[in-house]
Amino acid sequence: MEMAYYPGCSLHASSALYDIQCREVLGRLGVDLKEITDWNCCGATSAAKTNDFLSMALPARNLGIADASGYAEMVIPCASCYSRTLLAQKALETDRDLREKINAELSAKMQGKIRLWSILDLLVDKAKSGDIGSKAPRKLEGLNPACYYGCLQTRYPVDLQLPDDIENPQGMEVVCEALGAKAIDWGYKTDCCGASASVNDSDVSFKLMSNIIKDAVGRGANCLVATCPMCQMNMDSFQNTAGEKYGINEKLPVYFITELIGVSMGISAVELQLDRHFVEATALLRGLKLL
Amino acid sequence: MLTTAIRYKSEVSKSLLQEVMERSGQDLNACYQCRRCAAGCPVGDVTGVTPDRLIRMIVLGDKEGAMNNKLVWQCVACYTCGTRCPNNIHTARITESLKQMVKEAHLKPLSPKIANFHSSFLTSASHFGRMNELEFMGMYETKNIKDELLGGGGVKAVIAEIKNQAQLGKTMMKLKRMHFGFEKIKGLSEVKSLFKKGMGK
Repeated sequence: MEMAYYPGCSLHASSALYDIQCREVLGRLGVDLKEITDWNCCGATSAAKTNDFLSMALPARNLGIADASGYAEMVIPCASCYSRTLLAQKALETDRDLREKINAELSAKMQGKIRLWSILDLLVDKAKSGDIGSKAPRKLEGLNPACYYGCLQTRYPVDLQLPDDIENPQGMEVVCEALGAKAIDWGYKTDCCGASASVNDSDVSFKLMSNIIKDAVGRGANCLVATCPMCQMNMDSFQNTAGEKYGINEKLPVYFITELIGVSMGISAVELQLDRHFVEATALLRGLKLL
Repeated sequence: MLTTAIRYKSEVSKSLLQEVMERSGQDLNACYQCRRCAAGCPVGDVTGVTPDRLIRMIVLGDKEGAMNNKLVWQCVACYTCGTRCPNNIHTARITESLKQMVKEAHLKPLSPKIANFHSSFLTSASHFGRMNELEFMGMYETKNIKDELLGGGGVKAVIAEIKNQAQLGKTMMKLKRMHFGFEKIKGLSEVKSLFKKGMGK
């Protein structure tokens, strides 16, 4: 089936590898991603912290384009983009005045009819249907990931029916199980990495990241797995600095969930672009004879 | 010996509480100070002021305290306080509103770097319709350097900042995670008009 796709800014830049993996992995699972045309930045957390109108209007323009695309569903891999877009869709469902005010500026009016998917919800669906099991046959034995959800994959500041537990989500564990990887049980799966604080308030962020790494290491994880590009970027690029500051010697590769599925599907490390990680990410897989 | 008592100023208190509730959409009157939010706040030990304290300040009409404390700026918007609140008050929405109020009142932000970060991010998004990481980071660092030099932070702090960012930039380049192309959308005029409507410029 074909599905609308909103990559967002970071999947077109520093997390371009995630974009490639999403297209390839979901393609093999039977979901052909169709990037919506001429999308704009969702405004992320910065819009919410600067201007309430923009925090609704920027995702609303994308929703209008998505509604006009003719597809019934759209997947958004970035947790922040997904959260902001879902919040806008939800708010504009009831706030008709604001919707009219925004739509007055748009050529493709926001109607709010497209069904939004986070990448995790979509993958869990594919795990439960058995698609991951059949399309990704190589069992990831020896891989013990700490499934790291971060904030925006599970927490929303509105009333929302969620498919997973807020404090102890299991979606990534379900996907890992379908891949034959044994996810560890740990306490920091939904703790915040600091997000943009890694750049603008680094002492705070490094402390938060060190808590996460320490717990994952202490409980025997040999890698982290994430769905959010911000979490992945932070835990990957600053792990050295945060670890050094807090006396953690172990280094854990931080995989996108699409990388684990990709490896299990037999997609090569080159195609998955596993060489673009800050913490070396191929040695562990080679050691386990998974690459 | 000095004795003190809270003096209630109805005009200030009511208008502050009303404004924050309207902007954030949160019913601050529902807070009964159980402090579950404080227990879960990942930055509480750094900010001193925890969500419960911030709510109390607003209810009591302490405008200066509410707009000028570390939590407003260092809140990482993780939404933990809100999902754990027995009355569903999302304090992250409150800190978002307070940041906007500080900006609109042209007050000096307590953490200029954090304010610079978010304004640079949005400015970059307004220029081309998409946030271009290089432009955004360039703008952010320029603003920080300007603030450091004007604020008397000195050249040392500036050099340290540049060094840190250069190190990250170098690694990102090596790993091909730096993106040099600028993406500009065709419907930029639509995005610009949304910015105009929202920010009045």
